[in-house]
Amino acid sequence: MRVFANHDVCQGHARCEDICPAVFATDAVEGKVVIANPEVPAELEDKVRIAVRNCPEGALRISGGGGA
Amino acid sequence: MTLHFQPPSPDHVPADRIVDFDFFNIPEGVGDPTEIWHDLVRRGVPKIFYTPRNGGHWVFLDYADIVAGYRDYSIFSTYQAQIPNIEPFPVVQPQGVDPPAHNVFRRLLAPMFTPIAVRAMTDELQCRASKLIEELATRGECDFITDYAERFPTAMFLYLFGLPEARLDGFLALANVFFRSTDPDARASNITEIYAELDTLFREKEVNPANDIASAIVNARDEYGAQHDWTDILNCGFLLFVAGLDTVTNTMAYVWRYLATTPDARRQFRERLDDPDAFLRAIEELMRINAVSNLFRRVTHDCDYKGVQLRKNDRVILPNTVANRDPRVFSNPDMIDLDRQVNVHVTFGVGPHRCIGSLLAKREIMVSLQEWLRRIPEFELAPDQPKGAVFGGAVMGFTGLKLRWDTP
Repeated sequence: MRVFANHDVCQGHARCEDICPAVFATDAVEGKVVIANPEVPAELEDKVRIAVRNCPEGALRISGGGGA
Repeated sequence: MTLHFQPPSPDHVPADRIVDFDFFNIPEGVGDPTEIWHDLVRRGVPKIFYTPRNGGHWVFLDYADIVAGYRDYSIFSTYQAQIPNIEPFPVVQPQGVDPPAHNVFRRLLAPMFTPIAVRAMTDELQCRASKLIEELATRGECDFITDYAERFPTAMFLYLFGLPEARLDGFLALANVFFRSTDPDARASNITEIYAELDTLFREKEVNPANDIASAIVNARDEYGAQHDWTDILNCGFLLFVAGLDTVTNTMAYVWRYLATTPDARRQFRERLDDPDAFLRAIEELMRINAVSNLFRRVTHDCDYKGVQLRKNDRVILPNTVANRDPRVFSNPDMIDLDRQVNVHVTFGVGPHRCIGSLLAKREIMVSLQEWLRRIPEFELAPDQPKGAVFGGAVMGFTGLKLRWDTP
């Protein structure tokens, strides 16, 4: 499973980072999402799915990983 | 209810979309000001309606429309959007300006409120919260508003702005007139006073810059290397004063009021004291259910929005508390589920004007609750609550909230 962010849509709520800091971070200038490695480890897939669904801007997308 | 005698509604508003609704008026006996909004939904009024009160304005009740009101700034502007109309209202930076001009001050402020910046404030927050609560704990009672919910965010504002602690009572007095006074003369001189304070502060920080927000704003340079317009600098300081105090105070009041009356929720939060993820998840749910802000927008041009004729300069109000209980977005929306997995609440707005201080606000509330529950694990409402201590408006809340607890 891979996860992607649309930086034009992200407004820096940081909900993703709160839910899954192992995958999502935020930058120090705008506070927008930073995904260092879009490849999601299998054990974090559920958390990432929840993070994606909690983005109030719909700025995150998942591909692969089955049924997401 | 259809009106027959109010000032005539504009002719582009059809009769079946008119509802008599005054968002400042909390009827006697209503203990929670957000209930006037949920009552509209229960009554089944149109999801987009017009009220002639407060100068006349639209109200959006669907999550999707409220979100559109936030995101689509080509129709819904924040510029001069006050309800009731106050013109000219200071063009607060960056809230009162639409993109792209809005980006100038947004970018200036953004680094000071990122998760990284807010994490760096946590020790300071914890230290201040624990000190205040320790003093209260031995008393066995307090007025939560004046003893904590006003003092804590205001003191933090002074600290972040680089103002001395000694100014706290002066600033609390200014804030109280600004947020609560209905006397136009008192309000006008109050705004003059706040601007005079800000002017003095920014002039001082221009000469003696320090590591604080006021210094960062006044010493920032635009793309030509020049200082920003002085009026914009003042208006930016004014916005941070206006936006960061009353909202946090009243959200805290709602949270503590809920916990004071809900033993099971107190227990659940206490059990999460050593589990920050679960604690934060529960805080997000209380953010959803206790959204105190109603935001204003001004229509930029005559247009058709979902079959409704909007006219240039029409005002629109976006009640977050209603969006946050839309059953199309939230399962069991009226139930408080401290483990809610999907919670896309709009308590801090969405889109380009998303509350820039949302992470600081949440951190202030979270740290306060953690420190409180460690020292005052059990508390309840005092039997003698002040009468009529609720208010509506752009920010809803309480002027008094008496709590009591057993002391060892």
